[in-house]
Amino acid sequence: MAQLSSNVFFSTIPELNAKLVAKEFSAVELARAFVERLEQFGPRYNALALGLRQEAIRKAETVDADIKRGRLRGPIQGIPYGVKDLLSYAGQPTTWGAKPYAAQVFDHNATVINKLDGVGAVITGKLSMVELAGGGGYRYASASLTGPGLNPWDRTRWSGGSSSGSAAAVAAGLVTFAIGSETSGSIVTPASFCGVTALRPTYGLVSRHGAMALSWTLDKLGPFCRSAEDCGLVLQVIAGKDSNDPGSAGKSFYYTPQYGRPLKELKIAYSPGDFTDRAEPSARPAFDAALGVLKAAGAQLMEIQWPQFPYGPVLSTVLAAEEAAIFEPLVESGKVDQLADKAQVAGLKAAADVSAKDYLKAMRIRRLIQEAFAMQVFSQVDALLAPGRSGPAPKIDQPLSPIPGAAPAAATAPATTPPPPGGFAGIIPAGNLAGLPALVLPCGFADNLPVALQVMGAPFSENLLLSIGREFQTRTDWHKRRPQGL
Amino acid sequence: MKLTRREVVTPVILSPAMLKGQQTVATGDVELQAARERLKTNAHALNTVTLPMSIEPAFQFKA
Repeated sequence: MAQLSSNVFFSTIPELNAKLVAKEFSAVELARAFVERLEQFGPRYNALALGLRQEAIRKAETVDADIKRGRLRGPIQGIPYGVKDLLSYAGQPTTWGAKPYAAQVFDHNATVINKLDGVGAVITGKLSMVELAGGGGYRYASASLTGPGLNPWDRTRWSGGSSSGSAAAVAAGLVTFAIGSETSGSIVTPASFCGVTALRPTYGLVSRHGAMALSWTLDKLGPFCRSAEDCGLVLQVIAGKDSNDPGSAGKSFYYTPQYGRPLKELKIAYSPGDFTDRAEPSARPAFDAALGVLKAAGAQLMEIQWPQFPYGPVLSTVLAAEEAAIFEPLVESGKVDQLADKAQVAGLKAAADVSAKDYLKAMRIRRLIQEAFAMQVFSQVDALLAPGRSGPAPKIDQPLSPIPGAAPAAATAPATTPPPPGGFAGIIPAGNLAGLPALVLPCGFADNLPVALQVMGAPFSENLLLSIGREFQTRTDWHKRRPQGL
Repeated sequence: MKLTRREVVTPVILSPAMLKGQQTVATGDVELQAARERLKTNAHALNTVTLPMSIEPAFQFKA
């Protein structure tokens, strides 16, 4: 087998597919190289939940046979990818990142895996995650069956959660793309910390059949990729109606970059303070430069009135009520105590206390939130812009929330100390409550760690977000950067 | 694969406890109490929003 250049591991989907079709290497050679790399480096970042070597080689053989016969199935054909371990893959363990489910095996594939299989994508492994996608609320990065997700840019830093392995594997060139999930921040956060492009689709656009449920009304699946264009190509495959998912919107998605509106025609709302006072000081130069790129491209950046709601408490109430119902058997059995994170155990137990009245109240406020974004925000602007996170990834042993009863220094200085109020405060819970899509775009470095922008749009505006992403990425190369030594 | 000095040094810097993700842990009872307090705080925050009777819950969730 020819030794593949390390550039192959950081190639985009169209680049790899062109080489496969031109027979520069075979799908089997590509799959074998990626599987070996995933098995070698995946554990280094605690990113690998399960390697699927045999399955990958078998699938790649069928791809090679198809290409030989001229049966071309689009750009994803022959492309190696991984999935977050909350997606079922028939006959193999699906752990949900949690000890109580370590031996769990389903007899069916998640719909997204079947869709990707149908166009010839090659699954090479399942990727690690925060246990139960963070249900109950975890305090430490170590809240995972596979240990804390380590950041490929610096292993002393967290890769983010809960789609930790999906982001780290793409950043380290262990897969060409990965599927992750978001209930509130689980795509945006790890993509920002690992410096990869990722898309949180509109609620209902991608089927969740075969995925662990954390919150029926909030859960979404989306891709982590090397570019906005790759996100569009993957989304086109995984989106679509699915009668097995009651939340399915019944809509398809066609990636149409040829119809993308130029940046200079777009009105993009932002709050300058989000990129200065409310951003961590080390990240401000990168954010300032990114805003400069958008302005130079002609984007009309403007300030708007941000709808004021208690986004965090509304989301937490909805999530707590739904996860309490979903994981009641886990709590009642006592196996919840096997989880690695004690704050998460307590959170799942306490969630049963949410009253029906409060759940309904939160869902009524949620309706107001949806209406506010439709009538106050997207009637004025095409998209919203904010930092993906206010700064780079925290240290892996830093608490992510205050420790009750601890000394004030430890109790009040979690790694994710909320920024001062104002600006687009709560954009992550707000976007998730309203079911809005968001695209994460790497935009530079702070303390030698990646930072990113997030662009959020109206429901089903993925093509618009991707066109913004493509224009940004034609003017920058942050999405092409690779961690040292990889 | 070429290893940089940082890559060589990192395994030495990372203690086993750090790689495993060392935790400062409060007792279960304290954690549970704190989690319940957070739920109460959330409930109070919900009460700051005026909800006319005509506002129905987002049961049929549509993005």
